[in-house]
Amino acid sequence: MTITTEKALATATELFENWVWKTRTETPEPNRLDVYIQSSEELIPMTVGLRVQRLGYLATITGLDLGPEAGECELLYHFCTAAAVITLRLRIPREGAIVPSLCSVIPSAEVFERETAEMFGVTFHGMKNPEHLYLPDDWPDKTYPLLKDFKPEVLKNLRIQESDNGN
Amino acid sequence: MEIDRQDERFIIPIGPQHPALKEPGHFKITVDGEIITNAVVRLGYAHRGIEKATEARNWVQNIYLVERICGICSHIHAMAYCLGVERLAGVEVPPRAQAIRVIVAELERIHSHMLWFGVVAHEAGFDTLFMYSWRDRETVMDLLEKVSGNRVNYSVNLLGGVKIDIDDQIKDKIYEGLEFLEERTQHYIHVVTNDTPFLQRTRGIGVLTRSQADVLGCVGPVARASNVPRDIRVEAPYGAYQQYPINIVLEQNGDLEARVVIRLKELLECYRIIRDILNTLPPGELTTRMPRRIKEGETILRVEAPRGELFYFIKSNGTDTPERVKVRTPTVCNFLSVLKLAVGHQLADMPMILAGIDPCFSCNDRVAIVDRHQQSSEIWTWQDLRQYGIEYYNGHSR
Repeated sequence: MTITTEKALATATELFENWVWKTRTETPEPNRLDVYIQSSEELIPMTVGLRVQRLGYLATITGLDLGPEAGECELLYHFCTAAAVITLRLRIPREGAIVPSLCSVIPSAEVFERETAEMFGVTFHGMKNPEHLYLPDDWPDKTYPLLKDFKPEVLKNLRIQESDNGN
Repeated sequence: MEIDRQDERFIIPIGPQHPALKEPGHFKITVDGEIITNAVVRLGYAHRGIEKATEARNWVQNIYLVERICGICSHIHAMAYCLGVERLAGVEVPPRAQAIRVIVAELERIHSHMLWFGVVAHEAGFDTLFMYSWRDRETVMDLLEKVSGNRVNYSVNLLGGVKIDIDDQIKDKIYEGLEFLEERTQHYIHVVTNDTPFLQRTRGIGVLTRSQADVLGCVGPVARASNVPRDIRVEAPYGAYQQYPINIVLEQNGDLEARVVIRLKELLECYRIIRDILNTLPPGELTTRMPRRIKEGETILRVEAPRGELFYFIKSNGTDTPERVKVRTPTVCNFLSVLKLAVGHQLADMPMILAGIDPCFSCNDRVAIVDRHQQSSEIWTWQDLRQYGIEYYNGHSR
């Protein structure tokens, strides 16, 4: 019933190396497999592929800001089973990125997508509830705290304005 | 259940202040009569921006920061972080240090499960059990204080080892404490499986089937109570768990009773493993040398916190501060199950269903129960809802 780590990694490697599109895979650590996705359109088919093979559950989505010079962010979708961690890595532009939502395939993706959306400014197409999850409702627009060039001073001004209104 | 009569819906917002749970969370629960038809959560009242803050601190300072993510499972955060950084640096931690980390982690699990057990008894209106279990919890709190000097943030970990040692005198104290706790735990297992009023609140309530638990991505005791064998200590043993394997504890029914029983049974497993490690505590050094700068790379570390899988992603850029530390706490995964489970239940069951997953708000933060066709609403405090649940069951025997 339960799949072993080696079996999971072998199945996933086979799945993605024979993928319809040319896909690069790497093994950064013995229990990990990183899959580099070329285009966001492949995300849902690949997730379905993983689910059909029963290769783990979506542990989380990690956002990485590669910096203003690179002009790119990276989304890491981690799927875990036994000790194996299969990561789908997707490069996206730093501004105005639109990525398909996984909610239709994996309902639990919603919380992770909402978090990534408010922290990195990624739009998830097809997400049911795009409201803030962790940040306050009056959080300033287009301010994404986990981007490298986020300046906390923005919030200081916000508080001053608020207290002015209160008076 | 006629849930289509939208005009008769009623929304009960609970929170954000929870006088009973002592943590902020905002739930909006839509009800049709007594039946819950929808539940929504809003998190973030305890959001402190810790992931961002790690990028402005060096590797050592971050141990103290991540240890403060959660007040109940503080050690496991620091342990996961240290294991991750050590793996990135390619440093091998001495076996004695690994063993001591696991001992503290298991003591912490005991304290966390006992704390939760008291809370769930209180939510069920069984305050006698709550008082007894928290009295017994003091035993493990004293042990933790004896071992580390602290009751909450134990501050046991260092990069490359641990700060504290366990000598024969402390060993004897731990053996003594565990003996008492084991006897009490056996007694509690008997109580929760035989006490009729308590069973009325737990048996057959909030059932999460195996496939639901699997699809919703539940972790920890919630998943294991639904017979999903998900325990990182077993699946991907880290640190001293490689030498001291854990026996996975599973329950079949997936209801609240199973969630209570599984945590109590896990306590017995905690006692066993702590004794095993203490009996054969490896001699040797407590720390090893760590570089100040960590070489470039990424690592993923998964550990089993008291509430389930804790996930750390750490990226280093070769300097003395991390490039990114991503933390995914177990409660985030389990929250969704609460929202799904609640639908179709009596409003009176809500406190128990929510308490059943052992939510930790500061770990992950807010729940709102929302309805768009709201006609009227009333704000209840958690205390009101809890009281409502108890009174409801006093009047209705099933």
